[in-house]
Amino acid sequence: MNWAETLLSAWTAIRSNKLRSFLTMLGILIGVSAIITIVALGQGGQAAVIATIESPRLQNTIQILPKETLEPGLPQPDQVLSFSDQDFQLARQFPGVADVYYTLYGQATVASGGRVVNASLNAGPQYLNEIAHFTVVQGRMFTVSDVLAHRRVVLLSPSLAEKLFTGSSRIGQTVQIGGQPLQVIGLAEPAQLNLLGNFLGTDYVYMPATTCRDLFPWWSISEMDVQVKPGVDKVDLGNRIVTALNIRVHDSNAFEESTRFYAGLEQTIGQVTRIFTLVIGSIAGIALVVGGVGVMNIMLVSVTERTQEIGIRVSLGATKRAILLQFLTESVLITLIGGVLGVLLGVMGSFVMRAVVGLPTAVSGWAIAVSLVFSTLIGLICGIYPANKAARLNPIDALRYE
Amino acid sequence: MIELSGVTKRYRSGEEWLTVLDDVHLTVEAGEFVSIMGPSGSGKSTLMHILGCLDVPTSGSYRLFGRSIEQLSAQELAWVRNQEIGFVFQNFHLLPRMTAQKNVELPMMYAGVPRRERHRRALELLAQVGLADWAHHLPNALSGGQKQRVAIARALANRPALLLADEPTGALDSATGQEIIDLFLSLNVDGMTVVLITHDADVARRARRIVRIQDGRLVSGAGEEGRS
Repeated sequence: MNWAETLLSAWTAIRSNKLRSFLTMLGILIGVSAIITIVALGQGGQAAVIATIESPRLQNTIQILPKETLEPGLPQPDQVLSFSDQDFQLARQFPGVADVYYTLYGQATVASGGRVVNASLNAGPQYLNEIAHFTVVQGRMFTVSDVLAHRRVVLLSPSLAEKLFTGSSRIGQTVQIGGQPLQVIGLAEPAQLNLLGNFLGTDYVYMPATTCRDLFPWWSISEMDVQVKPGVDKVDLGNRIVTALNIRVHDSNAFEESTRFYAGLEQTIGQVTRIFTLVIGSIAGIALVVGGVGVMNIMLVSVTERTQEIGIRVSLGATKRAILLQFLTESVLITLIGGVLGVLLGVMGSFVMRAVVGLPTAVSGWAIAVSLVFSTLIGLICGIYPANKAARLNPIDALRYE
Repeated sequence: MIELSGVTKRYRSGEEWLTVLDDVHLTVEAGEFVSIMGPSGSGKSTLMHILGCLDVPTSGSYRLFGRSIEQLSAQELAWVRNQEIGFVFQNFHLLPRMTAQKNVELPMMYAGVPRRERHRRALELLAQVGLADWAHHLPNALSGGQKQRVAIARALANRPALLLADEPTGALDSATGQEIIDLFLSLNVDGMTVVLITHDADVARRARRIVRIQDGRLVSGAGEEGRS
């Protein structure tokens, strides 16, 4: 018999006992779909967390951070935690630097006419819309002169404006932030950037960085973004600025370029999600093993039930190998179908998690491949003993068996 | 074609050894129609299993087509069963989940006959046993006589030289049984060697030669004197 006939004959055997075959593959199905969903959740969550933690910045930008903010534990009292105006002036003097900016992110209460709403505050340079990703849908963006003059101007996200004002006109209205009045100059729609966005809300306030520092002088400037002119060696320029900053504060360890920090952070988060995936994955793996035991059990029952069939096949010229292959194919086909159905269910589950519950998921091709290989292996391992038992049956006893 | 000399088969039963076949000598020439007749427990089924290469003798030798069966490997024995011997059983032994045609195709599948050729040959064989219209029926839709005809068609699939029938009429009424024996006779006329095992004297009598077996020994018909 060639493999196609063996496969067809195994398929016929599986189909002739539909309910039993389905129940047998159920263990594998559940195990595989659990693994696919869990890995998708783990990977999606990891990507979303990293995207959220990494503060947005423009292309061709060197990001410099006070090193102390990167280290775990409480800061030393004498450590630098924030950039000063002198630091910015210093960085601006380097040739090859196009602009130096900083952004501030925080929570602030916005009040108007007795209404108070908690919102996310983003402050930065006049091109903040490119960094924090929003589009001005009404009114105007703040200008470089607004920034330089510390003007009390804000843009609100439409959902926030909706909550604050009753009338239709929003531009030109006044809101209170940090006890100071600010004029609304525009409405800005934040872009949905990452999958955790669902949890972060849609109420945003955007204003010039200088204005924000006036309102909240105690907020530290925890990052310096240096925009580099085209053709300039980023790494070299970054190193020179960091060195100059460290010399200025007499601390060789005060500032650091952020690449290494983010790489480390991604590694840490990766480790955490790997452990999470591994722990829950092994529970799903146990489900797979239990499923495999079920397959083996049913295959043993099937061999006993079909003892006479085996005898007949042997009398018609089936070799031991043909009998072995027949039962092995059947067992592998059961677990493989279970695996494929499990992958489908797992992928569906991941999409449901994303669409209905809002959890970020990323279906992993690796998890699918590994699941399918693993379920095939389970079929092989759990099928080999029953198949071998079938192939070793004494044909005379098998023929007599009723 | 068949040469059994001094074939003995013993089974261990607890402390004792049970002798099922005792020093059996039997020669069957190509083209013969032989009945092996004996009461139940006489060892005729064991003899049939040895003839069919499903079992091996404890001692003695069995030569089939001039080859010593005891020297063949398991794979070679499977090949002999597949190519040179056709089996017909008392309870038909059709595979219940396969249509008549698929059952007939089974020995050809193990022989590696291409699909198209298998289909053609199976339909031809079913027509030969008078079941051309029943090819796509499952065994449980067929009568006993029809099932046995399918089994005979299956036994003939790889054009074996030897047909072994173990009580082929045992599960059939006497009229249907006669028809099956008629079929064997017509196959024999076309050159097929037939060895038929039965406890029924009426069935046995229709063969050209009767070998009687009792308590594991051949009591008559083993040699030349049995031939008519």
